[in-house]
Amino acid sequence: MRSRVLAAYCILIYLFLAAPIIIVVGASFNAGNFLTFPPQGLSLRWYVVFFHNDVFMRAIRTSLWVAAVTTCVSLVVGTMAALFYVQHAGRWKETVRVAMLAPLLLPEVLTAIALLFFVYAIGIGTRSMFGMVVGHVLMTLPFVFINVAASLESFDPDWDMAARSLGAGRWTRFRRIMLPLIKPGVIGGALFAFIISFDMFTISFLLKGIGTSTLPIQLFDYLRTNFTPEAAAVSTLSVLLTLGVVIVSDKVLGLKLHRF
Amino acid sequence: MTVVRIESLSKVYGAVRAVDRISVEIGDGEFISLLGPSGCGKTTTLKMIAGFEEASEGAIRFDGADVVRVPAEKRDIGMVFQNYALFPHMTVDQNLAFGLEMRRVPRAEMRSRIDRVLEMVQLSGFSGRYPSQLSGGQQQRVALARALVIEPRILLLDEPLANLDAKLREEMRVFIRDLQRRVGITTVYVTHDQAEAMTMSDRVVVMFGGRIAQVGAPADIYERPQNLDVARFVGQVNLVSGTVASADDGTLAIDTAFGRAAAPARDGLHPGQAVTLSLRPEAIGLGAPGKAGAPGRVEARYYSGSLIDYRVALDGGETLHVQSFPTVAFAEGDRVSVHAPADRLWLIGAAQ
Repeated sequence: MRSRVLAAYCILIYLFLAAPIIIVVGASFNAGNFLTFPPQGLSLRWYVVFFHNDVFMRAIRTSLWVAAVTTCVSLVVGTMAALFYVQHAGRWKETVRVAMLAPLLLPEVLTAIALLFFVYAIGIGTRSMFGMVVGHVLMTLPFVFINVAASLESFDPDWDMAARSLGAGRWTRFRRIMLPLIKPGVIGGALFAFIISFDMFTISFLLKGIGTSTLPIQLFDYLRTNFTPEAAAVSTLSVLLTLGVVIVSDKVLGLKLHRF
Repeated sequence: MTVVRIESLSKVYGAVRAVDRISVEIGDGEFISLLGPSGCGKTTTLKMIAGFEEASEGAIRFDGADVVRVPAEKRDIGMVFQNYALFPHMTVDQNLAFGLEMRRVPRAEMRSRIDRVLEMVQLSGFSGRYPSQLSGGQQQRVALARALVIEPRILLLDEPLANLDAKLREEMRVFIRDLQRRVGITTVYVTHDQAEAMTMSDRVVVMFGGRIAQVGAPADIYERPQNLDVARFVGQVNLVSGTVASADDGTLAIDTAFGRAAAPARDGLHPGQAVTLSLRPEAIGLGAPGKAGAPGRVEARYYSGSLIDYRVALDGGETLHVQSFPTVAFAEGDRVSVHAPADRLWLIGAAQ
């Protein structure tokens, strides 16, 4: 009896949390001219409008590109940091961890402003995407780091020694032994990096180049002046894209650890 | 195949000498055990031979060539780890193939070598399994196969049986020993279990505090321990006190509760001096009271099937651990006479 009440309670909480997303998705199929729920008739007309909207299409391409580059850079840097942290940091371990997680502890706006000053100070400015990508990498690094480090903690150093005794050099050992065994952490970290970068607002807002725009910023801009179901269509697509990335990586790369 | 020579090898961590100038030669095809309590430097020594630890001083020669500067992956060793260290994401086949791929062995030859080794370790038919689908003993044999399939110059085993249950451990001792004889590979085996070292090895290297206490065949170590530490660590031992009665012609005569024993003369031992001798529990005989020997009383009796262990208090005050076959049985409280053959009384040194 108790457990059933508890279950009902949990379901209600989840419904409450998921309701806005469900409503946005529902509202995107609206046939009417305004963003309302329940929708006034079903239609895909706002998706058509969205796909013909150059500004949005450009923004989505920018977002995907930035997220992809961010993920790659963050993955390499974060994995190297995690390797150092687990295997070589010794008594500096705690210091390294705090330093790596620092971007999570500072308010995003502060980090963004600091970066803005920095990119102008070193003369790069916001003409290119460089500053924005650096910002995104900075914000996603902790997630790659945490995930990979967690996998590495359960990596038995004897595996590496066994591979050495069998004649494998450093790079072969990394590629054939370590990487497959820490794969869940690496993929988990990559997913976090991609999704967080794709949804990042504050950093992008301050560091984006003039004239370029990412999807969240474009959406924000749009909502300031318009209130059509197109915004809901954009949001729905954004949710689907994120979900797609998770599902595809799960199916293709395999989030589950080998057969343990 | 390979003769391994270790020449005053040391490993220094700061002020600590984990391994302190040890020298030993391991013959071609010989099975040698490094035996000692934890922290005695045996594993460090093994890791230096493997190349996982850098030697601070000294040389390690494989057939005369010093390998101290050769990285582990180029030393051509086969190593078996305590926790097996099988690659969990690879099948038995892939685990075995890994070392062969590193050596660029052609596919066809790879197949036949893997099959042959799997047959040797009695695991044919398991090639498609993942390590997690195997029992501890099977994983152990895969680890052994993985080390042997590359046909290394030397085989190194680091407490490979420590994680197995008692019965399986005894089976594996015999299994590993037989396999090693058949392959004829020079083998270094690290263990803290003296029974394991004794049953498996041609020679045992007993280590304490980073140094070699004694090197010898199992019987040497057991019957002729060179010092108290070795006597105590290898098997069970009674320490019997004696007095040097005379020293001539290079022979010492020593009086003990069990009569007179002889020992080769040793520096610093002179007539009248108190000495300690070792006496193994199974060397002691118990007889009806009044017979020849030292009189005593059975204090406790522990029956273990094939043997009976007694604790016997001599009237002279010493307490002995006696082991005998159940054919002669005494009860607790029985008076007995205790005798020991003179040749099983082994002089350890001056009494401390």
